[in-house]
Formats: sequence, structure tokens, C-alpha cells
Amino acid sequence: MSDTQPETLPRSLIERLLAVALERGGEQAELFCEQRLSHALRLQEGRIHEAGVSMTRGVGIRVRVGDQQGYGYSDDLSEDSLERAARVAGKIARGSQSLRAVSVSERLVESMYVEGEWSDRVAMGRRVDLLLRADGAARRFDARVRAVNGSLVDEVQNVLIATSEGLLVRDRRPLVTLAVQVVAERNGERTQGYYGDGGRRGFEFYDRITPESIAGEAARIAVVNLEAVEAPTGELPVVVGPGGGGVLLHEAVGHGLESDFNRQGVSLYSGRVGERVASELVTIYDDGNLPGERGSVAVDDEGTPGQHKVLVERGVLRGYMQDALNAELMRTHSTGSGRRQSFRYLPQPRMTNTYMPAGDLQPDEVIKRVKRGFYAKSFSGGQVEISKGDFVFMVGEGYLIEDGRLTAPVKGATLIGNGPEIMTRVSAVGSDMKLANGSYSCGKGGQLVPVGVGLPTLLISSMTVGGSRVG
Amino acid sequence: MSAEPLELAHRAVALATEAGAREAEATMAVSDTFNAEARAEQITKLQQSVGRSLTLRAFVDGRKATLATTDLSPEGMADLVERCVEAARSVQRDPLGGLPEPESVAAHDLHIFEPDVHARSEDEKLTDALSMEREMRAYDARIDNSNGSRVADAVTSVALVNSRGFEGSYTSSSVSLSASPVLRDGTEKRTAHYGASRRGYGAMPAASEIARIAARRAVEMCGARKPQTTILPIIFERDVAAVLLGDLFAACSGANVAIENSFLAGRVGERIGSDFVTIIDDGLLPAGMGSSPFDAEGVPTRKTVVFERGVLRSFLFDTYHARKLGAKSTGNASGGTVGPNNFYLRPGSGSLEDLVTRTPHGILVYDIIGFATEHVTGTWSRGASGFMVEDGQIAYPVDGFTIAGNLRDMLATLDDVAGDIVYESSIVSPSFRVAEMTVSGT
Repeated sequence: MSDTQPETLPRSLIERLLAVALERGGEQAELFCEQRLSHALRLQEGRIHEAGVSMTRGVGIRVRVGDQQGYGYSDDLSEDSLERAARVAGKIARGSQSLRAVSVSERLVESMYVEGEWSDRVAMGRRVDLLLRADGAARRFDARVRAVNGSLVDEVQNVLIATSEGLLVRDRRPLVTLAVQVVAERNGERTQGYYGDGGRRGFEFYDRITPESIAGEAARIAVVNLEAVEAPTGELPVVVGPGGGGVLLHEAVGHGLESDFNRQGVSLYSGRVGERVASELVTIYDDGNLPGERGSVAVDDEGTPGQHKVLVERGVLRGYMQDALNAELMRTHSTGSGRRQSFRYLPQPRMTNTYMPAGDLQPDEVIKRVKRGFYAKSFSGGQVEISKGDFVFMVGEGYLIEDGRLTAPVKGATLIGNGPEIMTRVSAVGSDMKLANGSYSCGKGGQLVPVGVGLPTLLISSMTVGGSRVG
Repeated sequence: MSAEPLELAHRAVALATEAGAREAEATMAVSDTFNAEARAEQITKLQQSVGRSLTLRAFVDGRKATLATTDLSPEGMADLVERCVEAARSVQRDPLGGLPEPESVAAHDLHIFEPDVHARSEDEKLTDALSMEREMRAYDARIDNSNGSRVADAVTSVALVNSRGFEGSYTSSSVSLSASPVLRDGTEKRTAHYGASRRGYGAMPAASEIARIAARRAVEMCGARKPQTTILPIIFERDVAAVLLGDLFAACSGANVAIENSFLAGRVGERIGSDFVTIIDDGLLPAGMGSSPFDAEGVPTRKTVVFERGVLRSFLFDTYHARKLGAKSTGNASGGTVGPNNFYLRPGSGSLEDLVTRTPHGILVYDIIGFATEHVTGTWSRGASGFMVEDGQIAYPVDGFTIAGNLRDMLATLDDVAGDIVYESSIVSPSFRVAEMTVSGT
């Protein structure tokens, strides 16, 4: 590595850059310095097909004036180039030149990540071994497994964040994901299954959650889908399964509670803290402090420690997820929700790990309440429009419910609903809350960040299932 | 272009060869970007930067590894290139791996760089962003908020060098404007979005026009209701049609076909679509947003007929996947896999309004959300909103429903195409109609 790294910029330079950024009269300046080394290995046709190394290194500088933000970044760490980025960011203030001194002092933060065999300590052979084990397990699972594709991606991201208020923090964040896609075939019909797991931890995770179990799950889904019937169509009761079903909270409620949309008045939840927004069975947390989980942050990308936040409590809206800028404008505190994809982006208020705590019903009792309906075991993704609250989910694995029992697997269903409407229709909550496998990422404003979701088994009394079979 | 990007690319290739790679290819991209966002009467975001990145592909005896880095310091590059070559040793040998055979790139004037992107002043760009905010609010009193109006541009220089003697470079520019009104519809909020992209400011529609179209889209959706569950013809407005074409691109990508992750695998020569389905990928389209003289491997781009009157003629390839399937590269290498150049459905005739007039009963879809496409089976479904069409006329707005079908059936029953294509992205389409799809509502 080169000698100058973003996270080891000398304090004197950091202070000077913050001062330069504020020359035009900005109210607040912030430096985000990043160095992230990732490795990727891809498995295809039973062998390691490709290896990749990636380095994201640079410094982003932001200046705020009220709700206005200026931003500049540089991957060149020379003082000249960094000063230029600071001046570009400072332009948003448009005042005349005046230099004021800034001084920062370091604050230590407690790590939220599980210590262990992090990416930077792992030999390539270990990675190869995990993927080949996954391949073997998927192929042994069923004779109808036709193709296995896998990927192992791991990284350590080093960040340094400094602000004109005097804060200086560093964080070291590991992240690893092993994911497998399996294609199964019967009589020329092909189906697929996808599953992955990992988190902000080391490779010892795969001693417990083995590559065999991950590949086996992908193969199981692919094979189940071979038997799948066309999805039903129209309004039906829907039971959402534990764990991965948490995508429901993320889309139906979570995005609408991000503070930027609420300060700007574009979210349907704007100005509604304290109001009832869901059935009283609904409680939703967003927690950045779950050790080792994919969405966890010791500090967010603005230097604020991650927190446990109550978003909705027994149906009542309690608060939003705040980054620094929106918190200040809304006269409250950041909840450690300011996140960004890399040094090239402005931070935004984002979710971390979003979940609903357990209720008191046995999961099979929840299913028994449905005569004819749909069971969504997991979602492959979702999307929401936060002003009106309409969202969709793509079902990864789903079943028909007939007379209170799961029957035929169903293929290719999309669920559509309106967030606030659906949340008033939650009519039963299971006792089986679990966090989903660590493979979810969330996109917002063109930026992707890792997140976690969790859910107990949940009954929604009615929701539109969009399949292709009418009647 | 300054000598520096080419020089850095040469240095990376030399480092890789020294570290033990038999072949190497390096691409330097330098992008000078501008982004501004306005809300109400203020500029809320102003960003400007020069970003540089190097990507390297190294082959060690048919074992491939890649490197992507923004660290271009001499020590950083030396260390990372070594890591990359070392990582290649963990990969299984693949006799098909390696650089393309050298081919000469013909000189074309592709009109992909417009100097007005450099020339336009920051003040003019900020004025455009602010005027879109004003224009939307002036269009209808119920538009009292927005998700921002944006102006963005970029000038990007690309230099590519490989160890078989290829050296090439080009510069391109892009501009985009967009507006996103938020409208009060009774107790609900409605949003809309409209944007345009071109190679330069000269070819852009006026900011005021973009704002008015975005505002009209929000206003027209007022009072939308959920349609009944049924089977109907669906008209895909051109931006929505382009999303569908994106799924089709994935199915035509040699990278997906090679791993059988495509419902089109093994079907070249078969009739899949209706007579309306002629689909082209053209890397040489003048001023096209996906045009370039050569692809990410230095292979000259060209025009490839993918579907001709419904018959699947060719997949799209980079060098590796072409070798794998016994074909030749079509100049579609991009980001380590296969990407579109200008991938489009051949336009028919008339406007979208004409297409509506030609439709006795159906739904015109203006917006979709979600991404449920199963490439292996072609199963396709999305959340949608738009307008009910009755007797060839727009009757009322509808939302909160899904449309579902199978890409194979959708191509086979694509039964009318408008002429309203605009080449403003690397995947574009005119509006078209599919004879029947499942609509799931109440």
C-alpha cells in the first residue's frame, strides 16, 4: 500500500481542509475518508471462474448551509487536489473569503462487528474451498440440479470522519457474503433458487452457517419451484414468513420513515409522529447495534454511533430515522442513520437492521386462521413509492394456503399493496421472530448499502397477489 | 485527451506483465461530473468532481483476475496489480480465456462529445434546475412540493491499452435533466417523474418542457383507482417499454445464455416474436447514448440484428462468451461481462396517442415498479399505474395493480408499435402493445 492513506491523513491537514471548506461562509463541514479493499471470487460450472480485487480509496468533503449541501471528492490524496475538493464543496455558501480555524480531537468508538477471521486475514485457498464445498453440496442435493453459480465477496472498509464541530472518529468494518444460485431442470422446464448469508464478521461464520447449508437452501428452493403452479390473482389473505419476510417492513413502512422525506413533506408519514399508523399488533425497530449483522454500524458515515430506534410502537408512529442534516433542521438528534455507498456520494438517512419483535401466537396457528390464501416464505426484492405508499414485493418462495395448511408451491408472484393500508390489516403476529439471512442490500437515490431485515410470521388480512392465473 | 490516462493504462499493463500475467488489459476512465438539485427556490445540492478509476484484466495461463481501483498512486497500483495477478492463481485454467484477436478500429464520427457541456456556465445550469421547480408549481396549484429538479452532466475520457498492442481512447459527454413533482390529491400525495438525456445541451428539450411533462403526468393521475382483475391488452409507454426491453437484453446476453440463465438459450433461428419484433444493437448510432468506437475489450462496435421480424438471429457477445458458444464477439463487452450499446426495438409509426386510438380496450401503462423477472423461465410481473383505455380513448387513471405474463408470450403477441422512440439511453424502445396480459387488481 502507499504511505498516504485516507484514514491516516495527518490531523493538521484534516483541520486545514475543514477550514478551507468553510471559507465561503458554510455552517458545517465534514470529511469522509475511505479505503476499502474487497475480494470477489466467482464459481461457475464447478470451478473457480474468476477472481477480483477492488480498491475504493478517496476523500469526500461536504459543506452545509441550512438545507443546502455542497460536495466534492477526490481520489487523488495530494494536498492540492484535496483542497480543490474542499473549495468546490464550499462554493454552496457563496460568501466572501474568510478563514476560521477548526480543530478536531479523536473520539474512540466501540466496534459493532464480530472479531475474527476478517477479509484481510484470509488466504485465497480458504475462499476457494468454501465455494467448491457449496458447489458439491448443491449438486448432491438433487439429481435435477443442472447448474450452480456462486460468489464470495468480502471486504474491510476503513473510514475516518471529521467534522468542523471537532469530531474525529475512525471505524473498521468487515463484510462478507457467500451467495449461491442454483438452476434445476425437469422435462426441459428450468427454475432457479437463490440464497446467501454473511454479515459484518469474519470467515469463522461459515464454520457455523456452512457453505453446504447455504447451497442446500438454494438447491431446495430451485427444486421446490419445479413443482410450482401459476400464482393466484386478486385480493387474498397473505401470511408472510419469518426472517426474509422482513423486506415487507423495509418497503411498506421503513423508507417512508427516513427523515429526508419527512422534513421535505413528501412522505405520507410527514408530521404524523404520535399518530396511529398501523394495527396495534405492529411494532417496528431499526437497530444499528446488532453485533455482526449486515446493516450494523459502530458509527454511521457521519460519525454518529449506531442506535436502537423505535419507529412504530403498538401501531403508533414514534420517530424517524435521522441523519445529521435532517435532524438539525428538524431540531432533533441524529439517530446514526446517515449512510453512503462510498466517498463519491453524499450521505442520506437510511435503514440499518429493520425488524418487528415477536408476538405471542405459534406460527402454525397464524397459518391455520386462513382458509384460502397465499404464504410468502421469502421475498427476492421489493420497491416502494414513499409519497402515496404503494409498494411491490417479488416472492422468492411462495405457497398456496388451503384450509389452514400450506399446499402447492407457487411461481412468479408479485404482491402489491399500500403501506399504511397493509399495516392496518396486520391481524396476527407469530412468536418466531428471526433476522433474515445476511444477503440484503438497499438502493436509494442511486446508492446501495447493506441492510438487515427481520420478522415473525405475520398475517395480513387482505392483499393483492399479482400472478398470471385469473379465477 | 491528456497523455496521463493512456500513460497510467500502459503502466498498469506493464506492472501486470512484470508480476507474471501472460496477457493484460487496462482501462482508465476519467470523469468530470456536475450535479445540481433544486427544491422550491433553492439549490439544495451542488456537486462537482473529477473521478478517476482504473480497471485491469490479467490472464495468467488462461486464469483470469480483475482489478478495479481508485488508488492510482505508484505504490498503490504496484501492490494492487500484484494482488490481482496473485488472485488469478486461485482460478481454474480456462482455455477460452484471454484477450481478443487484434482488430483495427475504423475512424467514425459518432458525435458522442459535445463541447457545449464544458462551455455552459454553472449559473445557466442552476437557473435550469430552479426554473423546473417554478414551472411545475405554476402548472397546477396542487403541485406544492417536489422530490427535486436535477441537472447533471459529465465529460468522460476512456483510454484502453492491452498487451497485444491495442491502444485507443475517446471522450464522450452526457447531459440529463429531470423533474419530480409531488401533488396533493385529496388527502393523498402523488408523485411523478420525467427526465431527458442527451450528449450535449444543444440537443436537450427545454427545461420548462421537461417540467411541464412531469407536472402533467402527476395531474393526470389524480383520482386513480384500482382496476378489476382481468385479462387485457397492455400498451407500454416508451419509458416503460424500455424497462421491458432491458429484461429482453438480459435474455439475449451471451453471458446469461452461456450459463443457461435465459429463456432464449438454444433458440437462435427460431421464431419467438411477432412480425413487429425487430431488435437491433448498434454501437455506431450517431449521438447514441451507448455509442463508442470500441467496447471494453477494444473490439470495434458494430450493428447486430438480434431479432428480425420475430426470428431470433443472434445473441450479443464479448470475446469470452462468444468463444464459449462458438460465435464471434459483437463488440458488447462492458464491465467484465456483456452490456448493451444502443439496444432498441425498431419503431413503427405514429405517436403514442395514435397507438391508443388503435386500441379498443386496454390499459396504457405509464409507470411500473419492482423487478420480478425470472430470466430462466421468462416469468415477468410488475406493479403498475396508468390509464384505462376504452373505445380508443383514455377513460380514467388506474393504479395499485400488477401486470403479469411471460416474456416469450409477450413477444409473440406484441401486436402494435408506435414511432415515438427517443435514443436517450443505451436501451430504448418506442411505445408498443401486447395483446393480452393478466391484470391483478380488485
